[in-house]
Amino acid sequence: MRFSKMMSLLSLAGFLTILATKPAMAADDVIRIGAPLALTGALADEGKKQQVAYAMWLKRVNAAGGINVGGKKMKVEIIAVDYQTDEKRAQQIAEKLITQDKVDFLTAPFGSGHTKVVAGVAERYGVPVMASVASSESVFNQGYKFLFGTLSPNGGITENMAKMFVKVMPNVKKIAILGREDVFPKSMANEMKASAERAGLQVVYNETYPVGMLDHATALSKIKASSPDWIYISGYTQDLVLARKQMSDLKITAPIITMITGPSYQEFITALGPVADGVTSASWWHHSALYKSNDVFGSTQEFYKEFVAQNKSDPDYVNASAAAALITLQKAIEKAGTIDKAKVRDALAATDIMTFYGPIKFGPNGMNQGRELPIVQVQKGKVVPLFPDVIKQGSLQAIK
Amino acid sequence: MQAYIQVLTNGLMLGALYACIAVGFSLVWGVLNIINMMHGSLIILGGYLTFFGWFHLKINPLIMLLIVPPFLFLFGYVLQYVMINRVIARPVLATLTLTFGLDMILYNFMNVVFEATPRRITMDFGSFSFYDVVLPGDRLLAMVLAFALTGILYWVMRTSRIGRAIVAVRMDKDAAALMGIPINRVYAVTFAISAMMAGVCGVLMAVTFPVTTNISGLLLGKAFAVCVIGGLGSVPGALVGGLALGLIESLSGNWWGPQNAVLTGSVLMIILLMTRPTGLLGKAGYE
Repeated sequence: MRFSKMMSLLSLAGFLTILATKPAMAADDVIRIGAPLALTGALADEGKKQQVAYAMWLKRVNAAGGINVGGKKMKVEIIAVDYQTDEKRAQQIAEKLITQDKVDFLTAPFGSGHTKVVAGVAERYGVPVMASVASSESVFNQGYKFLFGTLSPNGGITENMAKMFVKVMPNVKKIAILGREDVFPKSMANEMKASAERAGLQVVYNETYPVGMLDHATALSKIKASSPDWIYISGYTQDLVLARKQMSDLKITAPIITMITGPSYQEFITALGPVADGVTSASWWHHSALYKSNDVFGSTQEFYKEFVAQNKSDPDYVNASAAAALITLQKAIEKAGTIDKAKVRDALAATDIMTFYGPIKFGPNGMNQGRELPIVQVQKGKVVPLFPDVIKQGSLQAIK
Repeated sequence: MQAYIQVLTNGLMLGALYACIAVGFSLVWGVLNIINMMHGSLIILGGYLTFFGWFHLKINPLIMLLIVPPFLFLFGYVLQYVMINRVIARPVLATLTLTFGLDMILYNFMNVVFEATPRRITMDFGSFSFYDVVLPGDRLLAMVLAFALTGILYWVMRTSRIGRAIVAVRMDKDAAALMGIPINRVYAVTFAISAMMAGVCGVLMAVTFPVTTNISGLLLGKAFAVCVIGGLGSVPGALVGGLALGLIESLSGNWWGPQNAVLTGSVLMIILLMTRPTGLLGKAGYE
């Protein structure tokens, strides 16, 4: 008896931690946005980044009385549900949000893979879905009419990078590419191979590592044997922290070391300390790229200031893109003057706006049109933008 | 040649860690017939304790080796005595479900309290080079400690009273009970030793890998593979299984690319299951 009581208490505690906000029944003059989020499980960190940004947007919108829908202000409610980084659950939750919670719009979870799942459900029900962290074209080439993404295609990143690095360092001839077997990192590895070849580089190593890989020593030792001038590795923070550390332990180096997305996240730099210095990366957004806008934030600085005050850390592209996705939705609702899903969808397709995050204009596939995405390098523990020229604060430095 | 020596060295160093990951898991599976789904999370818990001890209290991770494992020993003892012992006589599915549930609680507790952000102990242990073969200091240290501590465990199991009691219970629990061995206490101690070894592994992992809850499932998977390859319930089995898996992954990664390294390990596991289900060193009847 005592045992079963303790078990039920424990499982209750477990459920409470798992459960996110419980959807509440709301009045009719409220716009409901469903947000499947990875708040627990492998992508918990990334899911929370989206959640934080959604909340910042929501606070500002509701403080202003809500969204102006054809002259009437409507408050917004975000129904956030944890899908525990489980693809199948993401699908079920998207269904439930649409059919039971009757949300008007959806946001997609973190990553290309899970975005694809939720977008498939949204398409079936004709619900516009805002994807803030999906950049692989394989998500957007499904012919979905209701999916809109604020990140630009992966190819845009690698193309600029290969061109610029070869121009600045003409001695760089050989590149080694190691990518994680996963939708986004693999696509970044493939794109880089194509871009590198176009830039006249010789690809001396091109392999992927599986998701269940605990250790990179073998791949790195092999890369060392091919003596590249540029080592390019894609993956998630924990892979890249380990890979960079093992490179330094095994005395493997090159004039250029690039990690996608590595330095875009502050925790990468914190976890590595001095070893992070010199690592280059590219990102969809960096807070040093300053834009003025007439959205709820008004400017990049304003967003940055509020974020830092609230979170005691710098925002990254995930935070910014997530907030920008909701701003874009808001603008489309205002333009359509209704929350009718099909009409808002048409307004979204016609979007051409400036936000604190930069310009947003969707291509025919629903992806934000490529723009000059920032290339950055860690210099003395700080992320320094190298490209484009409007936000440039330093020059590319070779790793010794 | 040098390249091969490097690959073999990498494999050995990884294999020692694998052995360390699996030794406690194997013990509990072999002796208690419990597949402890919590094992990966227990290792991560040890890793977090080490990290926070270093980060907040500036305690050297190697000193944490004296603090974390005893803590997890206690944790394991209490957990086994209070909860798992109550279902231990039930079919394996009951204990599996219980440890699975406990794992979800522990895993999500760590996710909420510590956050999954990968964190690393930024200490530089240097590295040693012989010709062109490089041995990272932290891995070398982890390997030596992993060998030493599994060695001590082996010695304890062979020579001490409690060690012999554990072996006796593993062989025949009814006979052991008739001989006056307090079975429930032996179970609890076995589980506690397993948790303690998870703690040891957690400390060593925290020195060599970024600490994050993300990899707890991965660690559990490795423990499974090592047990299948090496054989259940014995310390040498875990050691042989771990080293074999480390070397296989390292060599196949070198030959066929890292994308096939894990696959090769799994294929070998399946072949062993079909041809030698007891594992390389296992004895029939314990599988």
